[in-house]
Amino acid sequence: MAEESITFTLPDLGEGLVEATVLEWQVAVGDVVARNAPLVEVETTKSAVVIPSPQAGRIAELHAAEDQVVPVGDPLVTFAVEAADEAPRAGIVGRVPPEEARPARRVRLKPPTA
Amino acid sequence: MTELIERAGAGPDAAGAPPVELSMQQAVNRALRTLLAEDPDVLVFGEDVGALGGVFRVTDGLQREFGDKRVFDTPLAESAIMGMAVGLAMNGWRPVPELQFDGFAYPAIDQIVNQVARMNYRTRGSAPMPITLRLPSFGGIQAPEHHGESLEALFAHTPGLKVVAPSDPAEAYTLLLQSVRSDDPVVFMEPKARYWDRRPVRLREPSDPIGTSRVVREGSHATLVAWGAMVHKCLQVAELAAEDGVDLEVLDLRWLKPVDTAGLAASVSRTGRAVVVHEAPLTAGLGAEVAALVTENCFRDLSGPVQRVTGFDVPYPAGPLEGQYLPTIDRILLAVQRTLEY
Repeated sequence: MAEESITFTLPDLGEGLVEATVLEWQVAVGDVVARNAPLVEVETTKSAVVIPSPQAGRIAELHAAEDQVVPVGDPLVTFAVEAADEAPRAGIVGRVPPEEARPARRVRLKPPTA
Repeated sequence: MTELIERAGAGPDAAGAPPVELSMQQAVNRALRTLLAEDPDVLVFGEDVGALGGVFRVTDGLQREFGDKRVFDTPLAESAIMGMAVGLAMNGWRPVPELQFDGFAYPAIDQIVNQVARMNYRTRGSAPMPITLRLPSFGGIQAPEHHGESLEALFAHTPGLKVVAPSDPAEAYTLLLQSVRSDDPVVFMEPKARYWDRRPVRLREPSDPIGTSRVVREGSHATLVAWGAMVHKCLQVAELAAEDGVDLEVLDLRWLKPVDTAGLAASVSRTGRAVVVHEAPLTAGLGAEVAALVTENCFRDLSGPVQRVTGFDVPYPAGPLEGQYLPTIDRILLAVQRTLEY
């Protein structure tokens, strides 16, 4: 499956903020993330915020280490995503739901005793 | 554009033919080709179904193959689409209209409820309505508002309509043949979230009567009752539950009107517990009907009350919130735990 790289740069997280400090990455290289999944916690001069992932894809590269100061507009993370021509298309409206290889769960069952 | 729809030979396979790998989109497309080829009275029409081939590519290639008199585009007017279907049916045609999205059925409710569903009754059987309304339904694709509704309870509550929701490509093929060949009006609810579900499919002629359910996984501790995309979700839950030593049966109800009371009762009588799962809001959803039928028919066999795992009593949410609205694996597992512990 052909992949293409999409790099996400640090957005302006407030009114005219120029930089942010990476506090904690919540993903690692190789992770497959969903859109809106927590990506990274950064601290600006106003507050600490968690930036959600702008898209689904595999994390190909993290451009900043924890505690590193990143200027707004500099690369933050690079995603590897399936090239558009090869991915199934949703037609005109909506998105193709991803098929998770192994469905996630938190609840465990206790088998019936009887 | 990627050619999603296969163009290999149309028509049902002979018995014993090898399975072909098809998505649900392609399976529905195959069924429509079979129907258009076998019956010159079958007409396929709706918004963008002709030249474009449908927004989900389901009718791709049909107009080219069967011509623009049998597969044609309509104005953006759902009431007119269904009204035209009524007139065509009265004049001997077998219409297969598409309303592009579930939410767009609301503008056509007058035609569907007041005309399509009643005409046979009103005319004492002289004007049957062999109309199959194809309705891409339910959520799960992060579409905008009006594109993720679950209308099965509304249609099931309307006397005169049959309602069916397939759960996989093979089922979509067979159930669509059955729906279109039926002389009664059928609302055929295609689960959008499963349109891209590709798997080896044997294209089969219908053998089970209209109004039968099917057990897609046998189990002994509880029955999960579902339809459409929730069948797949329940199969995932059953796999996970098996790791915990809990053996779940999954019943694909598929026909939502008429409901297979006997099949439902047989399964729940065996397991003694039932969890019904649907995307539609809780209140007055079809899960309530299932719970009532189970109670009426299996009361003495029940180990606990029927559990419902559903959407919430809110308008269908915007795409990014779908995950909070639709039944999740954990919500279904919790309901299973509740019924096991009762």
